[in-house]
This record gives sequence, structure tokens and C-alpha cells, in this order.
Amino acid sequence: MLRPAVVTGVGVVSARLVGDGQALRRFLAAPPAASPRHVVDGAVLAGLIDGAEARRTSRVSQLALAATRLALADARLDDTGAAGFILGTEHGDLHSTIEFADGYLRTGPTGLSPLLFPNTVMNTMAAATTIAVQARQLALTLNVRTVGGELAIARAARAVASGRVEVALAGGVDQHDPLVAEILGELGAGSEVRGEGATLLVLESLDHACARGASPAGEILGAAWRGLRTRPHGVGRRVESTAIAAALEEAGLESGAVTWVYTSASGDRARDAWEEALLGRALDPQRLALASLAPLLGQHAGLGALRVAAAMWTAASGLLVQPAWGGGAADDRTTALVPVAPGPGLVHGVARGGTHVALVVGGPPGDVQ
Amino acid sequence: MTRRGRRVVVTGLGAVSPFGAGVKAFWQGISAGVCAIRPITLIETDGFRARVAAEVPDGIGGSTRRSRADRLALTAARAALDDAGLGPAERRDAGLVVGAVGGGMLEVEGWYWARQRGRSVAGGGALRAILPASHADMLAWRLGLDGPRETVVAACSSGAASLALAAELVADGVVTTAVAGGADALTRVCFMGFNALKLLDPAPCRPFDRERRGMSIGEGAAFLVLEDRETARARGAVIYAELAGYGMTTDAFHVTSPHPGGDGMVRAMRAALETAGAVPADVAYVNAHGTGTPHNDRIEAQALRTVFGEGGVLVSSTKSMIGHTMAAAGSLEALATVLALIHDVVPPTVHLDTPDPEVPFDCVPGVARVATLSAAISNSFGFGGQNVTLLFRRPC
Repeated sequence: MLRPAVVTGVGVVSARLVGDGQALRRFLAAPPAASPRHVVDGAVLAGLIDGAEARRTSRVSQLALAATRLALADARLDDTGAAGFILGTEHGDLHSTIEFADGYLRTGPTGLSPLLFPNTVMNTMAAATTIAVQARQLALTLNVRTVGGELAIARAARAVASGRVEVALAGGVDQHDPLVAEILGELGAGSEVRGEGATLLVLESLDHACARGASPAGEILGAAWRGLRTRPHGVGRRVESTAIAAALEEAGLESGAVTWVYTSASGDRARDAWEEALLGRALDPQRLALASLAPLLGQHAGLGALRVAAAMWTAASGLLVQPAWGGGAADDRTTALVPVAPGPGLVHGVARGGTHVALVVGGPPGDVQ
Repeated sequence: MTRRGRRVVVTGLGAVSPFGAGVKAFWQGISAGVCAIRPITLIETDGFRARVAAEVPDGIGGSTRRSRADRLALTAARAALDDAGLGPAERRDAGLVVGAVGGGMLEVEGWYWARQRGRSVAGGGALRAILPASHADMLAWRLGLDGPRETVVAACSSGAASLALAAELVADGVVTTAVAGGADALTRVCFMGFNALKLLDPAPCRPFDRERRGMSIGEGAAFLVLEDRETARARGAVIYAELAGYGMTTDAFHVTSPHPGGDGMVRAMRAALETAGAVPADVAYVNAHGTGTPHNDRIEAQALRTVFGEGGVLVSSTKSMIGHTMAAAGSLEALATVLALIHDVVPPTVHLDTPDPEVPFDCVPGVARVATLSAAISNSFGFGGQNVTLLFRRPC
């Protein structure tokens, strides 16, 4: 990185964790067992959004907004006017799109809601959030399967590293929807452990963070995203990862220096196996510890950003959160804390269709610990 | 981009527009002031007030197993890569940034409509294209692009945002080449939504006219190949223009209405000038967002006046001929801007019969204008207050 981006704030709204960076660290230090169901409690979400906002915004926008506010509070960042906003999402507000279409199908043109229509465009979550928090620089919504959160963080890290913005709010969001589950089944990914929620991080340049007295929880040392050739929705056979190589090069690390990875394994067995093969080829498989957080919180775009925050904690603590997938004969769903070498690790994701992202993540920068 | 990193040039152009496939057809149509907005044939329109749009004529090509939007995207992106003369080896590491909104929604709607009306329909083919990101995956697979891949959804500025993001990848040295642009097919949701918002003119739209009543929707795709200037020169590529600057801002004001003072638009245009190292006087032509809605055109004119001064530039709206092509709009209009620079011809604003005194610019009514252009900008503004300005300069 030209200048590493540091992370100074974390906000999470998910089925089993709602809170800031401190809450996440507590969660990771004493992780619960894996769970098969990951839906955010409506009452909890209502407690994070005021009534007027709740009337104006859809549920998925509320998830994004609530997580953003938690992240900003965690970062103690009040002035967001110069902040960029980059949000990854897999399905956007498909729920509102269905509701909008159903209005027409029920009663024809008179059943259409002009208020719902803007929500059918996938940038609606970014729009609602930037309005609420008054972030006025670039606002991007990145759509991709599986790796939306990772991609948003990678883009944001590059925006900070290149000096285009001093502060970026970045992460991911998705909402659970039965139609989405049905569609994933049709597309061959029906075995995924799905979840919902949002995780947002505050990224800024180290200089900017130091100048305002913020305490970085970790830093993005390298970030790269590439494509792997495969059919749309398909799982590829190629296992040479140019993204991992580029991210390591940017971080100034050899492949042997990385011994642990938070992966995007989601229960989609063919895709998960592909990712493991990619990692095995790029890194030293004999020394590699892999972990996925999907069994704990369910796959959604926010989880990619949460993995980055978890990696910062692992880099500092030397503990990797490794949930069991369950489903075996004994249905063991326990979650282990596996000792690993402190220091930088990898957050990695690959989507059906071939988009893949690699981020080298470290703990707090040495000179500000 | 000159302020940071490498200079980014345009070396390949590809389009599918309501004038048909090809850049030549597009330029012939817009430079001749032909309006391609007609009664809609692709979807049912009974009971709606506005029933016209600019559809891409038959003959897109490609497998009908793909979504219409995928076929538009593939035809345009392939043409851009061919135009740039990039072989498989040069394509392999190229970046791909796609601006998208509807994805394969037209086909998904067909499936969903049938399902909700009690008919059993297999969804597989349609559902494969449901996400906007499906275009990028399909393009990468078919065109052999293994570099950084992204899909940006920024509503009506998606196509322009894709070009800005691709330019960043080249300027930062992440890639030497990137193909970027937007694609959208007409969808029921889009047509019904703008009708519900009462933003559509029942007749073809009339941007900047005092009697304008709203926008017309359209469809299409345009892709540009962006390259590091030195790489392009070294391989002897034809350089059409330099993408010298861009600005991306957010109003943070309202989901569907622009900031009343045009604040975000002004900041986007000024950022484009700044990154290009240009001053307002360097810009002779603005390809406006120019939707034809009373509110948006007035505010864009106000923002233009703030940046360029009253009457300081020629302004025209390509949408008066091809409608608002949603995610494709930013890239089709970027293409129109590049073509204007190449030909030293400003495409007109058609249906502009009665100038609006609140738009104090020469909006090139009806007939294209010959003009010496060294730099021009393309404005794109979307729902959510997402503003993108691209500044193109004649190559030197």
C-alpha cells in the first residue's frame, strides 16, 4: 500500500452480535457455538433506528445505517462531510423490489408505490446512509456474490492509500429473504449457511487518525481483487491466485509469512473446496490455519467486513476463531480458539463466477499502540 | 488522470444504442439529431400514462439464453476490445468495471409474473442473471478478462462511475488496461417505477425546453477501453481522447431529488476540473445529464452556471434522442462526449423548441454544431444524489 489504511471504528448489526469494536472483541474472545439460523431481531433493530427513519427506510437500509452509526461512534468521528462511503451487497433491497412488483400484480398500475421504487435500485442503502450521516464524497455500491464486504473494504483501503479520501466508511449489508434463498438453491448454492446483517468499518490514513487522536484497531497492509476464469455462477478449476500474490506484494510479505486465513467458506461445498485449493496453492498448506465465521453469523455481505475486523483482533491476540460446521454424526457445533502466530494474516474470499479478493490485515500499527 | 499517477487514455469504443449496434450507428443518429424514442414494444404498457421509450432495435445478436442486458453488454464490450486491437494476452490482465442497475431483471420479471399468476415456470435461466454483477461475470468469461473485476451500482450514474473507477485502476498502476462501461435493458420495474413517480413525459422528452414534462427511458450499452498512455503509445494504439479527470460526490440530501442548490453537482464538476488540472475556460462542451424533468434540468443548469458562468459552455442532452438508458447512460454519454471531441461536432438537443430562461446556455437546439473542442465533460447524476462528472480532453 502507498500508505496503509488503518481501521478506527467497527459497527456490527447481525443476528448474534450488535455493537462496536469492543463488543466484537468480546464476542471473538468467547465465541458461541455455531448456529443454523441467523436473522436479526426486529426489536433490536428498531432500538437502533428512530421512528421517523424507520418509516422512511427499508429494513436492509436500516441495517446499513445502524451499523454505520455504531462504527462512527466507535471511531469517535463526528465530521463525516469528507468521508467516502463504499458498500458491498449481494442482493441489495430485493425484498422491496418484490413488494413493488407485487403491488402491480395485485391491482395494476394503481398498486404501484412511488415510495418503494427508489428501493429497487441497489444503491438505496448507500443513499439512505449517506443522507443520515452526511457523508458527501463518493458513495459506491459494489454488487458481487459472496465477497461484497471484502471488496468494499479493499476499494476503500485503496481510496485511502492513494490519497483520494482521508476517511472511508466501508462494509457490507444483506437482508434475509425467502426468495433469495430459493434463487440461491436454483443457482446451485442452496447449501450455504445464509445470514443477514451489516458490518461497517471506518478506514482512514494513519496521519489522519493520529491527528485527531484516534486509536487504530488494525491496518490493511495489502488489498487486491481479481477475476478467476470460470462460467458465470460456476466454480473454477484454476487455483493460481493472482489476488493473493498481489496483496502479499503490496504488504511486502512472502507467502510463508501468512499462516492463518479468514475465508469466505459458506457451506457451498464446491465453492468452499475451490477456495481451499486456491489458498493451498498460494500459501504453505502445511502451516495454514483456516477459519470461516459463516457458521457463527451466516453468510451475508456484511460478514466480509466483519472478517476484516476479526482478523485485526487475531493479528493482535494470536487467536483464530474457528467454528465447527456441525451437521456431522455428533453435530458438533463448538467454536475453538486456535493459537496462531500473531502478526498479519489474510482475509480471503472467492465468489461463484470468479471474483476473488485478498486482504492482508495486521493489528494496530506499532508506533501508535 | 494527471493529478495522481499515470495518464489514462481511451483506445477502444463499443456501443449498442437505440440506433442499433455500433459506434458508427450511434454517432450517425445523435449527430443527425434523430429521435429514437417510440412506442414501447418489449413490455406491456396498458394503463400507464407514458408509453414511449428508446428501445434497441432487433438484431442484438448473441444467445437468447442470455438476458437481453447481458447481450447488450457483451456486444458493446467485445466491440470496444476489438476496436482497441487487444489480443487475448493483453486482455488477460485487464480490469473490468461494469456499471449496472437492472441486471437481468427483464427476464426475472417474466418468471416472477408467471409464477405469481399461478403458472409453473422454471426459473433457472432467468435467475442466473438476476444480479447486476452477472454482466461482469459473463463478460469476463466470454472475453477472457482476469484482472480486477467490479460491478458498481450508482443508479443513473453507474456507467460514468464505472469509467471513473476503471480510470483509478489504470492511474494507480494496478492495471495498464481496463474495459469499463454500463449496460441496461428496459425493465417493467423501471418503466412502472418512473411512471409511478410521474417523472415520464408521455411524448418523447424535451430536455431544457420550457415546456418539458419529464424524461423518457431507454436501453443500451457502451464500453470504453482505458489504457495507460505510455502503454498505448508503445503498442501504437489509436488514442481517441484522454480521460483527464473525474469527480464523484454525493448530495447526502434526498433519495430522489437533487440538492436544491446543485451542491453535489458543482463539487463533482469542480473535482473533475481539479484532477485534470483544468480551469472552466478549458471546457467548451458539456454533455449534460439533461433528463427532461423540470426540476433536474433547472438544478443542473444552476450548477453549470456556478461552475462555468452564464453561457460559458455549449450544453446538450443526448437523452433527447436515446432517452435515459439508466446504467448505460453515463457510458453512452461519455462515448458521445469522446465522439464530439473526435469530430469537433456537438450533438444537438432535439425537441428543444422553447428555451427555458432558467437555463442560460446555448443548448444546441435541433441541429448539431461544428465547434472546436479541446476538452468536454459528461455529467451523470443518479438517485441517491450520486454525481459523477468525467472530463475528456483531446489527446496530445
